[in-house]
Amino acid sequence: MGNIIINDLWSFLKPEIFIAGGIFIILLADLVIRDNRKAIHFTALIILIAAFASALLQMGTESFIFYLGKGNNHGLLAVDPMSTFIKLITIFSTILIVIFTITSEEFKGSKFKSGEFYTLLFGMLLGMLLLSSGADLIIIYVSLELLSLSSYVLAGFIAGSNRSSEASLKYVIYGATSSGIMLFGISILYGLTGTTNLYAIHTILVSPHVNYLTLGLSILMIFIGIGFKISAVPFHFWTPDVYEGSPLPVTAYLSVASKAAGFALLIRFIKVGFISSVGTNGFWNFYENFDWQLFLIILSIASMTVGNLTALWQNNVKRMLAYSSIAHAGYMLLAIAVLSEKGMLAFLVYIAIYMFMNLGAFYAVMLVANKKGNEEISSFAGLGYKNPYLAFGLSIFLISLTGIPPTGGFIGKLYLFIALLDGDMYWPALIALLNTVISLYYYVRIIKEMYLTKALDDTTIETSKTELTFMFALVAPILVFGIYFTPLVNFCTNFVRILGF
Amino acid sequence: MNDPLILYASLITLFLPVAGFALVTFSLGRIKKVFIGEISLMAVSLLSSVYILIDKLFLHPGVTSVFEFSWISFATGTGNQPINVKLGISVDSVTAILMFAVMLISFLVHLFSVEYMHGDKRFNRYFGYLGLFTFSMLGIVLTHNLLMMYIFWELVGLSSYLLIGFWFEKDSAADAAKKAFLVNRIGDIGMFLGILILFITYGTFTFSEIFAGIGSGKLPFDSEGWLTAAGILVFLGAVGKSAQFPLHVWLPDAMEGPTPVSALIHAATMVAAGVYLVIRIFVMLTADAMVFIAVIGALTAFISATIALTQNDIKKVLAYSTISQLGYMVMSLGVGAYAFAFFHLITHAFFKAGLFLGSGSVIHAMHHEQDIRNMGGLRKKMPVTYFSFLAYTLAICGIPLTSGFLSKDGILAGTYSFGLLTGHWLIPILGFSVVLLTAFYMFRLLFKTFHGKPADLHKYEHAHESPFLMAMPLVVLAVLSVFFWYGLNPASPDSAWFVSKWIDVPAKVVPESSNFSFMNTTATGGESLYNAEYTEAQHHAHFPTMIMSLLFDIIAIGLALLFYIYFKLNSRKLAAALPAVYNFSLRKWYFDEFYNGVIVKGTLLFSSVLYAFDKYIIDGIVNFSAYLTKLISRVSSAFDIIFVDGLVNFTAYINGFAGKHLRRIQTGKVQTYLVLVLFALLTLIILFKP
Repeated sequence: MGNIIINDLWSFLKPEIFIAGGIFIILLADLVIRDNRKAIHFTALIILIAAFASALLQMGTESFIFYLGKGNNHGLLAVDPMSTFIKLITIFSTILIVIFTITSEEFKGSKFKSGEFYTLLFGMLLGMLLLSSGADLIIIYVSLELLSLSSYVLAGFIAGSNRSSEASLKYVIYGATSSGIMLFGISILYGLTGTTNLYAIHTILVSPHVNYLTLGLSILMIFIGIGFKISAVPFHFWTPDVYEGSPLPVTAYLSVASKAAGFALLIRFIKVGFISSVGTNGFWNFYENFDWQLFLIILSIASMTVGNLTALWQNNVKRMLAYSSIAHAGYMLLAIAVLSEKGMLAFLVYIAIYMFMNLGAFYAVMLVANKKGNEEISSFAGLGYKNPYLAFGLSIFLISLTGIPPTGGFIGKLYLFIALLDGDMYWPALIALLNTVISLYYYVRIIKEMYLTKALDDTTIETSKTELTFMFALVAPILVFGIYFTPLVNFCTNFVRILGF
Repeated sequence: MNDPLILYASLITLFLPVAGFALVTFSLGRIKKVFIGEISLMAVSLLSSVYILIDKLFLHPGVTSVFEFSWISFATGTGNQPINVKLGISVDSVTAILMFAVMLISFLVHLFSVEYMHGDKRFNRYFGYLGLFTFSMLGIVLTHNLLMMYIFWELVGLSSYLLIGFWFEKDSAADAAKKAFLVNRIGDIGMFLGILILFITYGTFTFSEIFAGIGSGKLPFDSEGWLTAAGILVFLGAVGKSAQFPLHVWLPDAMEGPTPVSALIHAATMVAAGVYLVIRIFVMLTADAMVFIAVIGALTAFISATIALTQNDIKKVLAYSTISQLGYMVMSLGVGAYAFAFFHLITHAFFKAGLFLGSGSVIHAMHHEQDIRNMGGLRKKMPVTYFSFLAYTLAICGIPLTSGFLSKDGILAGTYSFGLLTGHWLIPILGFSVVLLTAFYMFRLLFKTFHGKPADLHKYEHAHESPFLMAMPLVVLAVLSVFFWYGLNPASPDSAWFVSKWIDVPAKVVPESSNFSFMNTTATGGESLYNAEYTEAQHHAHFPTMIMSLLFDIIAIGLALLFYIYFKLNSRKLAAALPAVYNFSLRKWYFDEFYNGVIVKGTLLFSSVLYAFDKYIIDGIVNFSAYLTKLISRVSSAFDIIFVDGLVNFTAYINGFAGKHLRRIQTGKVQTYLVLVLFALLTLIILFKP
């Protein structure tokens, strides 16, 4: 028995094992290595690359791990293509964040404790990896907490910065309340079904003896925890404050990786818990207990509309990107709201491109903030002449975020709209389209500031060759996928499946 | 059988020229001699095309290598057919020969330009543009689908625009560049429509898949008429690019570009792209489309030959001669002489590039004098230029022992047999009369430039033979204008290797009912494509054709001798005797005047009508709506002051919709947030209560 578990662990949980082991290695390295801080960065990178490679190698495998026993053939964790994809996304964005960290000004100097930082970062990553595979509400809750607790600390990681500490405290209070309500919801669901395993819940919900009112209540309460993670309106209030106050690499990380993990949880929760089967045409058939589609459409439209409209008025670019990330959560939520395999594909394509463009935008903003000390939009005035390469890169990221060809962002939106039209969701498609138009305004506002506004001062904004190279390494996939996207879509198609469905 | 080496060689040939362009562009003038790098890249590219040529003609004849990958694919399952756009290249003997010809001429033009453009202030940029052009042209040659064809089609248009207007300080050059670009657009719209018709019918851009679709009996809008229309529309692209009547007016003006550019782009390669396009779509042309194409080609050949008779600018004469020869090729495709059209495309490319480079050599020696009335007697000063020019002239007139004789006689025989079979006698009549005209105006040009007494003694004194880098390309091209590169028997076009070995005439895919009966493939599917009737007619046509064209040549050359060498006849008196005819030719059939008067003026008139409409009606509406808007905004501002500002204080508690107000929710107090979350939760529970 023990042997089987160890075999399973090694065959299916290599990324998690690498990251968990990595936490110890980093802690040790932090104690041993005193002078050469670079070594810690590189240790972290090597561990992450190993984890990424092992996640790639387990492409296409499907299995439960930690079986419940007693004739019950479900397990605590489910390794499947969808979770593997989210693992790839989260690990890859962690790799990028490590590179952010190396070049960030906020993290320069003796005050920055890289050992602690990476321990927490890896803790967060481990939480995400487990969350994307979690098939049992208990493990989902525990990994969600692991993810959240690490991110609370990371948000306030700059010692002595009031802004950062305030962000952290707000995050803790908000997060604690959300997860409390979620736990409440989980307990109601347990009372209703007698199990915490999603697959077991699936079999129980087939019988019509469940009280729908209680079920709906528990679903909504659990959704508070999920909505908090993906920062969907109306559970998004923490986002702007925390994003603005946190160190920029952490903000970027929260906006991509932690969102991806939240979406993984949402997809598994809905698809495993509440659908009866996947139809031959790719649409999901539901039990008659809760109108998931309407619910998700309302939340997604609220997210994109509130996010975009509020972003219009922001003068801090970091805060603007925070609202923009709420809007993008709305688009992705809409892709899931189609409740079909095509919607899933659209979601996967979207989040893969979103990772590149959003991290890229944050990185370019960070390079400016490194020199200017703030992210106010006025700091970007005249950037097109001060540093044409940087301004060009940032323009590409912003254009892609808007979704204009020939950038990857357009492809993400294209597949989203194809899925929407395929699901006969014309009104949501129209609203999403209008939202894209609104978003154009504030994205282009930055471009306008860079090229058409005269700089107020003569400060130069210089960037090293390494920094520019890294930024263009993020520009390249956006442009390539914008023109030749078939490989990306084919790649994503392999990951639509979820264990059991 | 897809040899990967062919793929690599094709990609090398294709991309090195554009690498040269990038090299020149990104050196930003920091490297003085960067053009040498560009020329070296071209040399490698040329070698690579030689490899492909040898492989396709001798090692693996008859093998078509196709390399493609799927660029966009939407596997839309419900109802509509899947969309699969493939990009790729296809290399067969036609591709290989044309690629080699393009690369060789391009390379020779590069060498020639080193001397010709010496001292120009944008010297390096000029070579960069040449690289860009060569890349685009090779793209047209290599592509296996209409989409890439269209993209590269526009790219050659762009590089042609850049090179015609290379000396953009001259107004005439800038105008000519614009004219070329705009006139080409007209043809391209037709081509675009044609491509769209084919794409929506067959869901693909790939030639072979479209042809397979037509072969399987699927027709655009289920009608043979639309298939004809699609063919003609795509052909319109060729009308623009290959300067066919009635869109031929841009090519003579394009002579404002540097002369080596005229040789490369506006004589040998780009203008042949239209003919190449028709070669590619040949199998889907219906009988009606082919007659249309043949008539356009014949008219073009005839009209421009008559204009060439009276022009005095050495480059203008050659430009009209180019249009006329392009008309020949198009006509040849129209009458089904597929292999001869391509054969003539290649032989013409060599001798016409030579003629232009030769004229460049003369212009260079005469210090940018282009008027043949001011030349004469250059034979003694410039022997290399003269003898090579003579060789090209003999070739273009189709005198035996030259390459031109083989290809031209093939075309004429094709028109003759077409006339025999269908009764369309207009086409061969125009075709044969062009022989007469061509020989006359070419020898007029030759005599006035190189023979007789120098008209401008001062310039004549300073004239000199061109340096090695300019003379060498002339000699190479002159050697290529001799018959033995194309076949061993100088008197038999049919036994030329182009026809007998290298080019396989493809079987037509159009429905039999809309094809010429004599062009239907025999059911056995053997080697011979056309049925016995057609072969028989062609066989009959050869001998009379040869006799007639030789006779016409002799008459024309004799007349030219009488006019310009022995002065037995006086051309001025003849012109004065027939002023209407003379002016009609000199003023180029008044095409430019007609277009200016009718189309340009008409457009301007129409636009001024629109302007008036705009000014009085639209502006009225706009002003009225502006007034209305102002009124509404006053009302709305009153509303804002009274209602909205009052509401702002409550926005912390309600989910508002205006962004400015939404922002106020973000109070920064985490207690407020949590209250809002609970409020939202309650709302959702009420909304989604079962």
